[in-house]
Amino acid sequence: MNFDWDQEQQEFRSTVRAFLAEHLPDNWEELAHGPGSAAQTEFSKTFCGALADAGLLVPHWPKEWGGREADPWISFILAEEMWAAGEPRGGQYMNVNWIGPTLMRFGTQEQQARYIPPMARGETLWCQGFSEPEAGSDLASLRTRAERDGDNYRINGQKIWTSYAGAADTCFLLARTDAGKRGISIFLLPMDTPGITVRQIPSIIGEGDIHEVFFDAVELPASARLGEEGQAWDIIRLSLSLERVGIPRFALASRMLRRAVGTLQRENRFDAGAVQQAARAHAACEATRLYSYNIIDQRCQGQPPGPEASAARFATVNAERLVAEFVVEHVPEALAGGDALLLAHHQRAIVAGIASGAAEIQLNLIATELLQLPREPR
Amino acid sequence: MDFTPSPDQSALTSAIDRIASRFETTPTEFHGFALDGVELERELESGQYFDIAAIPEMGPIAAALVVERLARLPCTAEIALSMLVRPQLDIELPRPFAVIENGRPGRFVATAKTLVLIDGAQVSVAHPSPEDVEAVESLYAYPMGRLAGKLSATPLAAEQAAGVRTWLRIACAAEMAGLMQAAIDATVEHLSVRKQFGRPLGTFQALRHRMAECAVLAGGVRRLALKAAWTGDAGDAALAALHAQESATRLIYDVHQMLGAMGMTLEMSLHLWTYRMKALLSELGGRGAQAEAVADYCFGAGQGSIER
Repeated sequence: MNFDWDQEQQEFRSTVRAFLAEHLPDNWEELAHGPGSAAQTEFSKTFCGALADAGLLVPHWPKEWGGREADPWISFILAEEMWAAGEPRGGQYMNVNWIGPTLMRFGTQEQQARYIPPMARGETLWCQGFSEPEAGSDLASLRTRAERDGDNYRINGQKIWTSYAGAADTCFLLARTDAGKRGISIFLLPMDTPGITVRQIPSIIGEGDIHEVFFDAVELPASARLGEEGQAWDIIRLSLSLERVGIPRFALASRMLRRAVGTLQRENRFDAGAVQQAARAHAACEATRLYSYNIIDQRCQGQPPGPEASAARFATVNAERLVAEFVVEHVPEALAGGDALLLAHHQRAIVAGIASGAAEIQLNLIATELLQLPREPR
Repeated sequence: MDFTPSPDQSALTSAIDRIASRFETTPTEFHGFALDGVELERELESGQYFDIAAIPEMGPIAAALVVERLARLPCTAEIALSMLVRPQLDIELPRPFAVIENGRPGRFVATAKTLVLIDGAQVSVAHPSPEDVEAVESLYAYPMGRLAGKLSATPLAAEQAAGVRTWLRIACAAEMAGLMQAAIDATVEHLSVRKQFGRPLGTFQALRHRMAECAVLAGGVRRLALKAAWTGDAGDAALAALHAQESATRLIYDVHQMLGAMGMTLEMSLHLWTYRMKALLSELGGRGAQAEAVADYCFGAGQGSIER
């Protein structure tokens, strides 16, 4: 047991930081404000292209797809540094983390050849068509239908709270091909297919983040299905296990806490109350960091996903909340034109317990799988 | 970064597990506050386990693993200070160790052979005679004692005093981590068997979520404590102690709430962990003082308070 970084890991972190220092424009923090805005989407394509050229976009991918098979520590250090910088990859982080690897595992040769190279070049944006008006935490109750018609499927239905849908080229879509949990299939749907309507829903999170997507008799070939009919649940479970820790939110939270404290110190406002809250938030961030590292370590050892990942996610939610509350209480001007990145952090922090699954679902998993408490009656 | 114990550390924890297995149960006739682990202490002494931090292939992190493991037992002995603080002062100093903060009663004071005296900013060390100290009755689940009179003590230089505070924080966090885990385990057992409204209490989401949150906090304390034991860094120590005292405050309330009236009786063992945690809550000034230490060490000048 040790808590030191080895030389390769330290050098890789320095390389990523140097890349960020060189490639982030002076107005980056203003750009970071809208996680799915047109301006950020456009910038992310240039930025990801440069990352790809430097071998920093998909270092953990297999060589055949442009990677160098770097271990999970390298991809996590990359993710930490990117998120701490305000995530200049925009929505492309999803390609890198799980959509690409999922296609490598379950896609046909044709699907892989079509979709993976643009991801590895940093040219394409995806959205995930999961949630629906009646299917949030209870995802298995989704209603969007994919009906087989000869060599085609016809999609009818609606998705909601879909991030990046307005700018995405392709949707990783869940749709029902049969009844029940085992009746859900995955489709790779180009967003310019006739019959798709995207409407942005104004949100606290910022421009371009939340959308409704309507599917009105959208025709797509059977070759657009990923895996077998009814295989969605197995694929999703495996692809999400590729991304067991999720976004290293603690990295930006921790950086923003330091920035807020720095502001207070410079202006002689770091009073006793602020000290108490800042220290608690810092402890929560560092506990979360170690939880996440623990899970990366398990992954390096080839251990199967365990309930600690849920604990790490819940710890993250706590840490994000403490930092966001600290900033609102002690640096309130940050949300009123005072600091673009503190504002962007706030907008991301408030969804920490909601995006990619409600925190309360994680608590259920912790209770059942980690604590081994008896299950709730269904 | 490696969270897997080394072969040496694994061998050590296995040996400790074997010792601990003989002390896992509370004697049925015991209805007191502090269950004194005299036998456990004797075993650890004869195996020279109190000196493991000074063995190069073990180090303080191995000692922290042992402290955490043994804190889960219902019985208690002076382990954490001897294993984690004593090596930083002088491994030859006689044990048991105890701390007296600003003249207040402290854990193991009545039997201590080395006392660390904290008076405001000053830290000093003394070796009491039996007549210098006396036992006190208390609700805490440690044997508590206090000074019976004046004692001559040797003040520590500021740097050494700061080092002692750092390792006291690490010892506190490592012990708290074990206590939290044991309290959770005892509560989970209760929630799994105790039925109300026709089903186990542990099936009610209101309780499941609270227990899950406690488990997340306890896991964070454990990881922070182990990291601090590895680095020996003052900031890491302050973070670990802060998170320990902060989290324990909530956890103690929650687990007692879940055991209801049963947890109020001395026939249940829950107090053997929660009232040890309560004794640790005030140490080194409590969580408010740990927060100030975090600010000093982590947000102070030269500590990177200005984000990169």
